[in-house]
Amino acid sequence: MITSCFPIAGGNFVSAGSASRRLKEQLKWIGVDGQIMRRIMIAAYEAEMNVVIHASRGNLWVRFDRGQFNMEVIDEGPGIADLGTAMKPGFSTASAEAKKLGFGAGMGLPNIKKASDVFEIDSQVGKGTRVRSTIYLETQPAEEFSSRGLSIQPELCIGCLDCLKACPTRAIRVWNRQPRILPVLCIECTACIDACRQGVFTIPDTEDEHLRQQSASQMFQPTLVIPRAFLTQFGLKVPPRVVLAALRNLGFKDIRFTEEWETELRRTVRRYALEQDTYPVISPICPAVIRLIEGQFPSLIPQIAPFVTPIEAAVEACSLRSATFVAACPGQYSLLAPAGLSGRLRVISSAELSARILPLLKDQAGTATNVWTQSPRPSKKGNNNSAVLEAWGARNVVEILEKTEKGLAGDFQTLELSACENGCYGTPLFQENSYAAKKRWSSSELERWRPVKAVPVKSPYMAHPGMRLDADMGKAIEMLARIDELTAGLPGRDCGACGAPSCASLAEDMVLERYPGLECTVAREGGES
Amino acid sequence: MKLEELVKSINARILQPDNRRGPEITRVFASNKMSALLEQAGPETMLVTSLANAQLACMAELMDCPALCLVDGTDPDPTLLETAVRTGTTVVLCQLDMKEAYGRLYRRLCGKDCRRS
Repeated sequence: MITSCFPIAGGNFVSAGSASRRLKEQLKWIGVDGQIMRRIMIAAYEAEMNVVIHASRGNLWVRFDRGQFNMEVIDEGPGIADLGTAMKPGFSTASAEAKKLGFGAGMGLPNIKKASDVFEIDSQVGKGTRVRSTIYLETQPAEEFSSRGLSIQPELCIGCLDCLKACPTRAIRVWNRQPRILPVLCIECTACIDACRQGVFTIPDTEDEHLRQQSASQMFQPTLVIPRAFLTQFGLKVPPRVVLAALRNLGFKDIRFTEEWETELRRTVRRYALEQDTYPVISPICPAVIRLIEGQFPSLIPQIAPFVTPIEAAVEACSLRSATFVAACPGQYSLLAPAGLSGRLRVISSAELSARILPLLKDQAGTATNVWTQSPRPSKKGNNNSAVLEAWGARNVVEILEKTEKGLAGDFQTLELSACENGCYGTPLFQENSYAAKKRWSSSELERWRPVKAVPVKSPYMAHPGMRLDADMGKAIEMLARIDELTAGLPGRDCGACGAPSCASLAEDMVLERYPGLECTVAREGGES
Repeated sequence: MKLEELVKSINARILQPDNRRGPEITRVFASNKMSALLEQAGPETMLVTSLANAQLACMAELMDCPALCLVDGTDPDPTLLETAVRTGTTVVLCQLDMKEAYGRLYRRLCGKDCRRS
């Protein structure tokens, strides 16, 4: 990791650009690709000029970390009162002197955002402004597609093989008593987390020790985005209203639920489906289901409604302010991680947040009333529930997608599929039974509706080519023949003793040489009895 | 197309450097807004503008832009020329206004019968 800081002198148009120039020298040394360099320079120069034009001084911080360029420009300036307006192209408060030099066209912040993969800004009037930009230094080849949302603690594994049987896409192997995930097959659902009683699988812990030592008010951002289920995890005596009040006391001024965006997405897709000719339309409510379709049901990709998942819509809605997110599953974590790496959007585990509020819950019992006032629910006009198939659980989802692929689900207009039982209520990262959690929430009368929008996809959903045996079709055909041949010679018990979930998976692993010394344990120990 | 050849169409003078045929230019972009110029600048692009301050040359350097064409007979700031010398950016001075210069450059670069999209 390389970290550098380049000071910027406010008001000095003679030296302006020197921070960006020094940064460019560093980029050349590193050997950054030309197009990426161009984007970094646009973001850096615009940010630097903003400091020169508006502030007394500032610093341009850069960090190269894990294939990313992270830039943070912090100034001591007047701050921005209305970030929404400031982000609008053409809006400018630059001085006449700056405008005379060609600056102040109101394109600075929009240009930085356009050049960035992740863009964030926050500002305090009278104190200053902080702009953060993340640019990925290289595009990730599809073959290296990784399960960013899952982490494994192999030392906890007892070799029970429950995970092998639970994984709906056969993405897990247990080689040498070490569980591994084949990223190319993993859809980042929660099946392995749910199946493993030892806690081998979980979502990555994003917080380092330094952050842990910070006080809650320093650590957390004022906006909190959580699944509703989080409020129902503290048992019978701690109703959601009390948990909500405790979160408020922890410093979260604005608490939002991912279901706000999910509900709007469902409504929007149901309306969208009415205008389509091909049924069913698949509602992208669950990131794991989308990955499943991209990887294993590519023929269904055109049937996915062209909107981003609710968690991505929530990130988009919070892009202009600081927010803390709790991910309900590896799939959500994976979508949050790129934005979270730049620092302003923080992703924490439900366990971490629970640990923080537990001491506060006692104080809150019986005191939390009128936390929210109810507002009218949105109209159900356009909803046609009878034509919507809702299904939960990874295995059910796979079965329904198989039927859809065969044209046996055309009587439904919309499919709303979630990998977890009862949607996010069923994530194994939460302790409470999903049905009990859902009922507690609906009994809590805390439902609140705020206008949110379904966000159209920026780039279309794409087939995931990592499933190919080989980029060369001829070689792939040969390999397939060898897999079939090997599979035919195996016992067909799918016992998992070899560490693969099925005999066909073992044959595939052997042909692709995924691990040295793979063989059928049953055959080695004397064949079938 | 070589810059020297291109600038003949606008009766312009190459201020810096004065002893070269200039770089290869395949694209021309005109604006008086720095943000627009920054977004469009790149290798083989000549920027056409009536701005003439040192920041223009600085931006051209950052974006690896090989040439600047100053229109309206604008006198370049001495610091612009200093920066251009240091970074090897070619500076061209033209008496035409921006629209006329851009139109002529476009026709020269894309052929007589081409139309602006």
